[in-house]
Amino acid sequence: MSLPLNTPGASAPGLSAAVNDEGYIVLSNVTKKFPTMTWPALDHVDLAIQKGSFFTVIGPSGAGKSTLLRALAGLVQPDSGQVSVFGEPPSQASRSKHLGWVPQSPALLPWRTVLENVRLPLQLNRRADCDARDPEEILGRLGLGHAQDLLPAQLSGGMRQRVAIARAFAFTPKLLLMDEPFGALDEMTREHVAHLLLELWQAERPTVVFVTHSVTEAVVLSDWVAVMGMGKLMPALAIGLARPRPEGIEDTAEFHELARELRGQLRKAFGGTGN
Amino acid sequence: MARATEAAHPRTWVPPLVVFGLLLAVWQAIALHDHFLLPTISAVWGQLVHHPSTFLVNGGDTLAEAVPGVAISYCVALLLAVAMNQSRLVTRAILPLAVTLNVSPLIAIAPALVIALGFGRAPRVVMTALITFFPALINSLAGLRSADPKALEVFETLSASRWETLWRLQLPSSLPYLFAAARVVVPLSVIGAAISEMVAPGVRSGLGFWIDQWSVSGQLDLAWAGIVTLATFGLLLTAIVVLAEDRVLRWRGFR
Repeated sequence: MSLPLNTPGASAPGLSAAVNDEGYIVLSNVTKKFPTMTWPALDHVDLAIQKGSFFTVIGPSGAGKSTLLRALAGLVQPDSGQVSVFGEPPSQASRSKHLGWVPQSPALLPWRTVLENVRLPLQLNRRADCDARDPEEILGRLGLGHAQDLLPAQLSGGMRQRVAIARAFAFTPKLLLMDEPFGALDEMTREHVAHLLLELWQAERPTVVFVTHSVTEAVVLSDWVAVMGMGKLMPALAIGLARPRPEGIEDTAEFHELARELRGQLRKAFGGTGN
Repeated sequence: MARATEAAHPRTWVPPLVVFGLLLAVWQAIALHDHFLLPTISAVWGQLVHHPSTFLVNGGDTLAEAVPGVAISYCVALLLAVAMNQSRLVTRAILPLAVTLNVSPLIAIAPALVIALGFGRAPRVVMTALITFFPALINSLAGLRSADPKALEVFETLSASRWETLWRLQLPSSLPYLFAAARVVVPLSVIGAAISEMVAPGVRSGLGFWIDQWSVSGQLDLAWAGIVTLATFGLLLTAIVVLAEDRVLRWRGFR
């Protein structure tokens, strides 16, 4: 696997070349400032993520993680710099249904059953051709086969979030953008859902950009983890754990070493404890 | 099940019954003391039982103005709310006019409506529509804007069209608000129609018209029987809206 270009030694000229590269998603010198914030949400961010990798951005609230994700989704227009999703601007990627968006809250439609919610992306913007999966099969793989005819109000928080993940996988987007998708779940449910996501990702291998507060989650899921604070993105840490990663990998020495290293980076960046 | 048990429980139906009974007792006391102020309950009841067709036929005339009036205003309000939700320009163009309409003494334009539309039912229907328009518009607009912003983002990242977003997200999200609007404007339409019968000269029909006539000529028992009839109609219409609301919102997973 080649290094993401925000690792030390990657230069800006290399990034502008990658903007047209179909094998990468790229942010090149991207800056975004909101009038209400004292520091920029994105401060000259350079980043290139190779197709098929699982890239996680970790950092405290207000670090700009969500803004980075929203810039990739085309939900936020940067003040300057270039954003490219496999060689296309985000607006074009969205028109071609290449983007899967999993927000913090599951954002399910309460009047639709679980199955109908997962089918939703297939019913919208039909001109874009996407390689639709069988929604029932995706639900089954996320352990929701028995719940497909229930309404969201009848589900637990963890189940709802799994439905949101199924909805994003149902139309096989090339890029999955996940904004703290497990933020509202309790610790046990979090781990379980994270491993279900990992299994599904392992089978489909879309490119994922994942935002989280949790060191454990970042190390379990990712190929690369980058620390973000006050709009600046630090060089990414490679997570060399072998795949597939089974449940219980959190207890291995290798895992602890990586988690310790990541906490160290967070401490260095913020002078805190990194939790 | 739980709701049915709740409705059957004495604590649900005893309190309103007690208040209602007390009110009737006070009424009767006042009526016995001074029958020029209020007719006795038995006199009002007597009118209702002895001339049911008077009240039903004229009440039907009032409903025949109220229902088309509120149907027209509700549909126009919903269409305008959709247009306003799509375009800021339309909102800027329409909202000030709607607010002005809301604060205007609409009753005062009844004579003008009669001149424009003749002595038939048309001016009364239009008046009813005008009176019920604003609450319908504001609630529809609030409903369309109530869609979950996170769900809107999901639609946006999929490049859903405006129509898809309206049809699959904003309209279904607005259902509770649309029913809230109906709860307000449907009974209001009966009041609106009755008032327009009082102030729009022309057809000598409708309970509003007769309540006015009976009051002026001192036939208070008839006037009150007419009021009771209209209130009953208003209650029945409200009950229909509430039942429909309950069924639809349950079916759509809001309850």
